[in-house]
Amino acid sequence: MATQLSDLLLNDRGFAFDPVGGDTFQLSVTGLRAVRLLQQGADEASVMDHLLAEYEVDENTVRRDIGSFFRTMEHLGWKI
Amino acid sequence: MSTPRIAISGLHRGENPQPGSGILRSIRLAYPNAFIVGLVYDAMESGIYVENGPDAIYTMPYPTSGAEAFLARMNYVLGKTPVDLFIPTLDSEIELLSHLEDNLSGRGLLTCLPDPAMLKRRSKSRLHKLAEQCGVATPETRAVYDLESARAAGAALGYPLMVKGQYYDAHMIATEEELIAKTSKLLAQWGAPAILQRLIQGTEFNAMGLGDGEGEVIGLCCIRKTILSDKGKGLGGITIRDPKLQKAVTSLIGELKWRGPFEIETIKDERSGEHSLIEINPRFPAWVHFPSMFGINFPATLVEMMTTGRRPPTLPPCPAGHFYLRHQVEVLGSLHQLAELSTSRDFDAIPASVTSKISASLP
Repeated sequence: MATQLSDLLLNDRGFAFDPVGGDTFQLSVTGLRAVRLLQQGADEASVMDHLLAEYEVDENTVRRDIGSFFRTMEHLGWKI
Repeated sequence: MSTPRIAISGLHRGENPQPGSGILRSIRLAYPNAFIVGLVYDAMESGIYVENGPDAIYTMPYPTSGAEAFLARMNYVLGKTPVDLFIPTLDSEIELLSHLEDNLSGRGLLTCLPDPAMLKRRSKSRLHKLAEQCGVATPETRAVYDLESARAAGAALGYPLMVKGQYYDAHMIATEEELIAKTSKLLAQWGAPAILQRLIQGTEFNAMGLGDGEGEVIGLCCIRKTILSDKGKGLGGITIRDPKLQKAVTSLIGELKWRGPFEIETIKDERSGEHSLIEINPRFPAWVHFPSMFGINFPATLVEMMTTGRRPPTLPPCPAGHFYLRHQVEVLGSLHQLAELSTSRDFDAIPASVTSKISASLP
């Protein structure tokens, strides 16, 4: 059963609880920012733009990390 | 009923805890003045000795002694300490009591149990048929009545597999030798059949609830087991909100028109992500008091249902994210109490006033 990202319970330190599967996670600072943006309706490109603007990081690194993060979310059954 | 008088069994809280003490605590939350009679099978049931525990204790004959012995003892108990409600918590006694509802109600003692037909349909040996009817997955299961059929079923299912007693006990089995040894023990301890199941790899989930007897669920609390003992007992759990699990539960309870408390155990297959039905227990689980602590009190709702004879309002959904950890503590007992329960020929009750005096007199 997929978990809607909007149902994910988060705190400001990146502690996340999946209410469907009962798993808990610790998100990195950028992971937490990405999830928050996605919960607010941002798409993948928009998340990249935000991260590029907010952190000192090059586009290739963001692209690679975001790709990996989306694959992880898919594996966990988190649906946007 | 402002002061309900309730008999509860299954008070032990050891390595393999029973639900009775949790039920008692929950009832005390809602009915602080309830008069609780503990019906025990052993003077070493730890819940006898807890603070704010039962007001009186009676030892009972084992359910295997049969209906006559059980009812005779109940006559004695009711003669000395009248109670209005009885919440049995052990699978083996529920099996017996499901046939005795009229006998008990004739004595003024109400129960809220599934009938024998419902119980039979959820028995371990028939569970796969029920699951199929409800469109719920379940591990391939074989009921075995002797060691030869166990050997054949083991070869067909493949190893590793699970073997279970008719009422209690489950073991993971890796080899035929292990299977024969464990099956032999389970058949001797719990009688035939023993149950062999294909092993499902995944996380264990539990759903506790109350059926109204018409096919509706009055309340439901679903958890994922987060910590397991080496016997597979849930030492920790967290509430979840899984629509697939809820759908499976409502389908099963609807099909059975289940009456009374239940616990449904599933394993979420890590390959398919589907819940696979493992067991339906005809009672509350040992963690029954956990949701009472965040305001969703299943035992109190059961008491309301039994005393009013009406369907109580549906309990609110359990919010996801509450968790419990099992915390074991020592309780103090005295030799006086133990002697009273172990040797008294007529198994007199030990009223709380007496046990507290005895405790007070200890060095």
